[in-house]
Amino acid sequence: MSAGYIDELHDSFRSDLVYRSEDIPLECSPKPKEMEQTLHGVMKLNGLVIRSLEEIAGRGANAVTYRAGKKFGHEVAKYFQKREDVEGALHELSDLLRGQYSFEVWKPEDKETFIIEENGETFIYLVFHDCIVRQTLRRNGLEQGGPLCQTLFGYVVGAIEEITGRKAKLEIVHTGPNACLKKLVLK
Amino acid sequence: MDIRVDTDACVGCGLCVKDCPMHVYELQNNVSVPVRPNNCMGCLSCHEICPAQALEHRGIYAARRHYIDIKVCEMLKKVI
Ligand code: SF4
Ligand code: SF4
Repeated sequence: MSAGYIDELHDSFRSDLVYRSEDIPLECSPKPKEMEQTLHGVMKLNGLVIRSLEEIAGRGANAVTYRAGKKFGHEVAKYFQKREDVEGALHELSDLLRGQYSFEVWKPEDKETFIIEENGETFIYLVFHDCIVRQTLRRNGLEQGGPLCQTLFGYVVGAIEEITGRKAKLEIVHTGPNACLKKLVLK
Repeated sequence: MDIRVDTDACVGCGLCVKDCPMHVYELQNNVSVPVRPNNCMGCLSCHEICPAQALEHRGIYAARRHYIDIKVCEMLKKVI
């Protein structure tokens, strides 16, 4: 390694910036376009972690990620207003997830209400549009519906349980490149 | 939702009929017909599965795509 290269390297990590400990950063740097490599790096790393977890833990991987997500959901939603109505809870949840996930409450044409009762089950269909998990899986060529999706499932269930005090379960109905249909089963 | 099928391109394989969870399509005279377009929730898995690329959805919400490699796409655009 030449001395010139080392000096150049050192110079690239120096600046005239005055940085005070009380400075509070109000935006991310660099600009989003320049963040592309970082984003891809994070997605790749997440994909590798999930792939390795599946290789080592097999089907148990889903249980691990679901539990991790659920704990996180409970943890984050602790600070939200408690309410019994599921619709209100979903509204709170969409605020909570904003920027990473976006979803809407959905129903097929032939159903009258969003809360559907069928075969002794009460559920709500949720269509997830924006989803960082889907992007990560597709970036890594991994199938949708596996352990990384379980993290999001656990997160949603944990948050709903925390806000409403009711037990819930989330099932995948269908996955696609642009949106996924999920069923929030209420107990 | 406005769903259109290019009837010249459609090969009548029925993959979209089988794939769609909301039973949006039906095969009629060997061509796919979107009979329940309002049941579509915009997953676009039918686009991915159609071997003839015969499908078109209008008025759909396009989810954010973070995984596109901008540099690769810019290069491809120059080549194509
Ligand atoms: S986008 Fe999804 S829901 Fe809509 S027609 Fe295609 S497969 Fe069915
Ligand atoms: S998947 Fe494509 S080619 Fe096959 S029936 Fe549907 S529209 Fe036609």
